[in-house]
Amino acid sequence: MNNAMPDSRSILRETWSNGTTLLAYPNLTSPAVYFTGYMQPGAIEDAEEFHGLASFTTDMLMTGTKRLNFQRLHDKIESIGASLSLGTGHLSTTFFGQCLREDLETVWSLLVEVIQQPAFAEKQFKRVRNQILTGIAIQNQDTAAMASQAFNLALYGSHPYAHPDIGYAQSVSGIRLEQLQFFHETHYGPNGLVLAVCGGIEPENAREICSRTIGVWQSNNQCSPKTLPPFTPPKNSIRSHIALESKNQSDLIMGVPAPKTISRDYQVCTIGNSILGRYGMMGRIGKAVREKAGLAYEVSSHLGAGIGPTAWKIAAGVNPGNLEKAITLLKQELLRFTSEPVTQQELQDVKTQALGRLPLSIETNAGIASILVSLERYNYGLDHLRQLPAIIESITADEILAAAQRYWDLDKLVITSAGKAIK
Amino acid sequence: MPINLNHNLHQVQLNNGLRVMLKEIHTAPVTSTWIWYGSGARNELPGKTGLSHWVEHMQFKGTRKFTGEDIDNLVSRVGGYANAFTSSDWTTYFETMPSAHLHTTLELEADRMVSSLFDPVEVETERTVIISEREGSENYPEFRLDEAVQLRSFLAHPYRNEVLGSKEDLLGITRDDLYQHYRNYYQPANAILCIAGDISPQAVLDDVENLFGGISSGPLTMSIPTPEKKLDTGDLVEMKGPGEAHYLEISWRCPAASDPDFFAYGIIESLLSGPSSLNMFGSGGISNRTSRLYQALVEEDYAASVFGDLSANIDPGVYKVFATIQPEGDPWAALKVIDDQVHRITSRELSVTEIERAIKQARALFAYSSDNITNQAFWMGYASSFADYQWVAEYLTRLGSVTPSQVLRIAQKYLQAEQRVVGVYQATRTQEGS
Repeated sequence: MNNAMPDSRSILRETWSNGTTLLAYPNLTSPAVYFTGYMQPGAIEDAEEFHGLASFTTDMLMTGTKRLNFQRLHDKIESIGASLSLGTGHLSTTFFGQCLREDLETVWSLLVEVIQQPAFAEKQFKRVRNQILTGIAIQNQDTAAMASQAFNLALYGSHPYAHPDIGYAQSVSGIRLEQLQFFHETHYGPNGLVLAVCGGIEPENAREICSRTIGVWQSNNQCSPKTLPPFTPPKNSIRSHIALESKNQSDLIMGVPAPKTISRDYQVCTIGNSILGRYGMMGRIGKAVREKAGLAYEVSSHLGAGIGPTAWKIAAGVNPGNLEKAITLLKQELLRFTSEPVTQQELQDVKTQALGRLPLSIETNAGIASILVSLERYNYGLDHLRQLPAIIESITADEILAAAQRYWDLDKLVITSAGKAIK
Repeated sequence: MPINLNHNLHQVQLNNGLRVMLKEIHTAPVTSTWIWYGSGARNELPGKTGLSHWVEHMQFKGTRKFTGEDIDNLVSRVGGYANAFTSSDWTTYFETMPSAHLHTTLELEADRMVSSLFDPVEVETERTVIISEREGSENYPEFRLDEAVQLRSFLAHPYRNEVLGSKEDLLGITRDDLYQHYRNYYQPANAILCIAGDISPQAVLDDVENLFGGISSGPLTMSIPTPEKKLDTGDLVEMKGPGEAHYLEISWRCPAASDPDFFAYGIIESLLSGPSSLNMFGSGGISNRTSRLYQALVEEDYAASVFGDLSANIDPGVYKVFATIQPEGDPWAALKVIDDQVHRITSRELSVTEIERAIKQARALFAYSSDNITNQAFWMGYASSFADYQWVAEYLTRLGSVTPSQVLRIAQKYLQAEQRVVGVYQATRTQEGS
C-alpha cells in the first residue's frame, strides 16, 4: 500500500465469461489478505409464506460439503487461522474472509466448494433451524431489534423490504430441507458474483488464483434475479410501540425514505446527515439530546445505502420515562434542519471531515476491499475516490436545505419504539 | 514470514515520568495516538465504583483551553476519529488522524492531562448519560448475569465490580469525587503515550517534550488491591427473568497477564473455546467451530453458541465461558458437557499438533492487524499497561515454547470445580413483543 488513493491505474478489474468480476488492489507489506464480495441471491427471492428461506440456505452452506463434513470443513479453515463467512441481505448474499497470503488459493477453493457443493445434511438442517429460531427468539426480546423491525414494517408496507432477512419464527419453522436444496440449485451461480481482494498479493497472482477457482465455476441452473417491485412511501405519519416490560431502556427510531444511493441527492444528504447526527459527538441531535439534555447515551442519524429503497433515520436509546421528551427534542431539531440552511461553519467542518477521512478509509485491507465492492455495486467507476473531493466541495447549504425538505416530510414521519409500555 | 513488532520502535521516558512509545509505519498517511492512564475499576473503592469511567466521559467536556465543542472539532474537522475506553486496569484515549494533524492531538492530550474543568452542570448532565449507558446494557440478560458472576468471582478485589459502576454509586458520586480522582491519576508518571503511523520520530519526540515536558508529576495516591487467593469453594449464581433463551456462564480464575503461566492458559483457551484476538479494531478473528466446547455443545445440540474470553490483567483475572442455550434447552445439561470437556483437559496432555495449531492461529491473528495502524498503537499501550511491549512482541515465541506438560499443569491448577463460579440465567417465557 502507498499513500496514493486506489484508482483505475492501480486497481485490477477483470470479468470472466461466467459472469464473475474480480477487483484486486495490492498491499504488499501485509502478510495477510482480506477478501469480500457479493452474489445472487438475496432475501427478495423469498416467497411470502417463507420469509427467511434465502438466509437459511446461506447458513447451510457452511455446515459441510459433499466432500467435507462440518468438522473437516472448519478444521481446514481454522487450522490455518483463516476465516470465511457468508450472509444474506435484501438483494444479495455477501461473503468475506481473510487468511495468510500463502493460503489464499486454499480458502478460495473452499469458498467455491461450499457454494457449489453443499451437503444439506438432515442433521445440520435441524441444528441450523434451531439456531435461527433461537436467534429470532433473542431478537424478539431486544428493544433495538424490535424497534427496527417495527420501523421496516411501517415504512416499507407491502414491499419485500418490510420483512427481516432472517425471517420469522413461524416462516422458518415451516421451511423444509428440500426447499433449501431447490432454492440453492436454482439461485446460486457465478453470474453477477463480485469479488474484491486486498493484501499481500500481487493483483496478477490474485487473478491467476481466481482463474483456477471461482473463474471456472459454471452453473446452468442459475435463474435471473427477481425484479425489485416499486416502493410506495407512507402517506401519513405512523407511530407504533412494541411493549417489552422487563426492559430498563427503550429504543426509538424516527425516519423517512432516503434518496437513491446513486444520485447527487445522496451525496448532498450524506453531508447533511453528518451535520444532523454524525459529526463529532453525533451532530446536532447528539448535542441536543445527549450533551444538553442528558437523555441518552446513544443517539445518532443514519443514511441508508443500497440498490433498492433505503431509509434516512434517527436512532436513540432512552429511559422509558424520557421517550416522549426525546421525540419532542428530535422533532425540534428536524424542524430546524428542514427550515433553515446549515451554517457555513457546519458545512465547512463536515466537508473537511469527509475529505480528511478518505486516507483513513484506506488504512486497512478490509477497508480497501470494502471500497472496491462499493465501486462495483454502485457503478461509481474505479476513479471515484479521486473524483469524490470535487463532488464534496461542490455541495452547498442551499442544496442541503432543499434535500432535507424533500426527504424529511415531518407530516409523514415513521416513529417506532420498543420498551416498557407507554402510559 | 515472521512478524517483527520491534521494527522501527522507539521508547523514551521524559523527566516527569511520562513513558513515550513511537512506531514508524508508512503504509498510509495516518497516525494513531493513544494515551493510557493507570486508572480503572481496579483503583476504585467501595461506594465509588464507576469513578474512572465517569472521569473518562468528563474529559470530553472541556478544559481551560478547549471547550467540549472544540475537542469534538479538533478531531472531527480533519476527518479523524477518536474515542476512549475504561477497563478494570486502565483508561485510554485515542485519536486516529491524517498524519499532518498529529500536533493537534498531542496538544489536546497534553492539555486535558491537567486542565479539564469538571463543570458542575456538565457533571450532572453526564450522570444521566452514564445511567442511560448502564440501562442500555441492563436490557440484556447476559449483562446482568455477567455482572452477578463477576461479583462472586472475587471476594474483595475490585475486579468484582462492573466498570460502569453500580447505579447506587452513580447516583451518589459528587463532582469533588470525580475531580479528586482525576487530579490524582492523571499525571505524567501514571501515563503512557503511544504513537504509531506515518511519523518522523525525532520531530515527534521534540513536539512531545515541548507539550508534555513541562507538566509535573505530583504524589500519586494509588489504591492498589492485594490479589486474592484462589477460590476454594465453587459458587453458583442462579437468575430467572423474562426472555426466550437461557444463558450459562462459567468463570475460572486465570493468572496475571505478566505471569509465565498465562501463555499456557492461552493455549487452553484456544483449544477449549477458540482463539481470542488481541485486536481492538475490526481486524477480524477466527471462528471457534472446531474448538472442543463448540463441538461438544453446539454440534450436539446442547447450546446454540459458545465462546470464551481470557482477560489479560495486571492482577490475576478470570477466564469466562458463555453459552446461549436454546429455549427448549437445559443449561444444567450444558454445564455437565462443559464439565466433561474440562475434565479431559485436566486429565491428559494435549498433543504437540494441537499446540502448533493454536500458534498458527495466533500468527494469523497478528498478521490480520499488522496493516492496521490504530491496532499497532493500541498494542503498545495495552501490553505496557500490565507488562511491557515485549509481552506482545514475544507473544508468538512464548506460545511456541509452551509444552504439553505445562498446559496440563496449568489446567489442573486453575480449572478445578471448586475454583469456579457458575451462573445460570433461566428464561421465563413471556408473551411480550407483540
